[in-house]
Amino acid sequence: MTEQARPEGIPGVESAGPFAVGVYAKTLQARMRERARVQLFGEVFNMRRGRGAKVYFELRDGDGAVPCSMWRNDFEKLGPAADAVVDGAQIVVAGGPDYYPGSRTSSPSFSFQVTGVRVAGEGDLLAQLDRLRKTLAAEGLFEPQKQLHRPLLPRTIGVVTGEAGKARDDVLAGLHRRGWGGRVVWAFAPVQDRHAAPRITQALQDLAAIDEVEVIVVARGGGSLADLFAFCDETLCRTVALLRVPVIASVGHHTDRTLIDDVAAVSCSTPTHAAESAVPLHCTEARASVARCAASLQRHGRQAVVVRARALAQLSRAPAEHVARHRARLHQWLREIRAAGRRGCDRRRTDIRTRAVVLDRKLGAARGPETEARRARVESLAAAIAAHDPERVIARGYAVVDDREGNLITSAQAARDARAVRLFFADADVDARIEE
Amino acid sequence: MSEAQQHTYESATARIEEIIRRLDSGEAGLRETLDLCKEGRELVEFCAGELDAVGQGLEELRLDELVARLEQRPAE
Repeated sequence: MTEQARPEGIPGVESAGPFAVGVYAKTLQARMRERARVQLFGEVFNMRRGRGAKVYFELRDGDGAVPCSMWRNDFEKLGPAADAVVDGAQIVVAGGPDYYPGSRTSSPSFSFQVTGVRVAGEGDLLAQLDRLRKTLAAEGLFEPQKQLHRPLLPRTIGVVTGEAGKARDDVLAGLHRRGWGGRVVWAFAPVQDRHAAPRITQALQDLAAIDEVEVIVVARGGGSLADLFAFCDETLCRTVALLRVPVIASVGHHTDRTLIDDVAAVSCSTPTHAAESAVPLHCTEARASVARCAASLQRHGRQAVVVRARALAQLSRAPAEHVARHRARLHQWLREIRAAGRRGCDRRRTDIRTRAVVLDRKLGAARGPETEARRARVESLAAAIAAHDPERVIARGYAVVDDREGNLITSAQAARDARAVRLFFADADVDARIEE
Repeated sequence: MSEAQQHTYESATARIEEIIRRLDSGEAGLRETLDLCKEGRELVEFCAGELDAVGQGLEELRLDELVARLEQRPAE
């Protein structure tokens, strides 16, 4: 310890001193340690085992509390009993008051230095909590909230939380994560002290009285069981159970279980999760889903018409196609008939020619030597007849005489008698008169 | 109008899914298909409206502000 110059005291004050604070702190520590060693009993709150040389907790009852500390080595020597020293446990401790004087770099602190522990049984508060839980359950008050309809997409959400707490930001983060941009109605209330429960109850009733509020979130961050005890208040829990609006509770960490968690419609581990439960629908995904539905409906509507229109068009074309098909078939048949006709004619022409050749050959074969002899005789007879033809005699210079009446005159006397005669020459006839 | 107004978002989406299942089955005739498409479009518009109502950006109000606003509403 360094010597310090001792300043003057406060004028008019008769108390001893001034003393250096460090000296006084050491003296205080010594006096504390001189006090009688005693045993205390109460309930454990805010047990902090940590990793340091000491474990810390508070010992509480309805009238007061004492901060306690215990060397870790002594605590661990308790064996299995050490595990029973948890928040809410009723214990008896032995020890005495101690004072850590602190230093220039560390804070002083008062604690009851525990040297021995006996676990006395279940803590009164936890037992009281358990009794209340059983009572509410027996009255069926855990169920009404769970029967309420929770909208998939609320437009207005009420939130009961501490105004300065981190839970407020967490709720907003959860709503943002859902892509939700509706209306949030904040009902700020203390969430820790002895005034908290009635204020929270009032806030819940006020929010539920507004028709627009479709769901209420009650959010508070982590804390000791004592810190969260406001949310185990019987009046608060009965109020929540009978509200017309679903309440989503997120009080403390996931290891904490308060009564409001039991009576609420939904209990969540974090305010963010509570906000997401208040808006079950992921709005961004829902927008995409609705767009897909719209597209699907449009496609179905269009297809229903187009497919049937195509079928109708197909049906309307069918008769024409049928006629065309038959026309094509008839044309084909016609071509085939013409071709077959041509082929038949050609075949018959060939047959006829063949037969003509055969007949010609037979005709040739039928002609014999007698035919030639007959032809020579006929020619001979024709020459004989020609030799007696008077025309040929006349042609050689002779003339035929008649009496102009067709009676041939063959003698001179006849000519004289006739007097008028006609002479026939080869080229023409001439009338003549006999003058003798 | 409108059946859509009597719907909640969840009932509307459930009905849309039912309609699309029916249409996907291919068993609906032309008249039924057109009727279902018409009903489905109305429901889609309803759902889109609901989503639009919570898509305009977060509005934060304190409880007393909302109460004051609601008390003024009849006078407006």
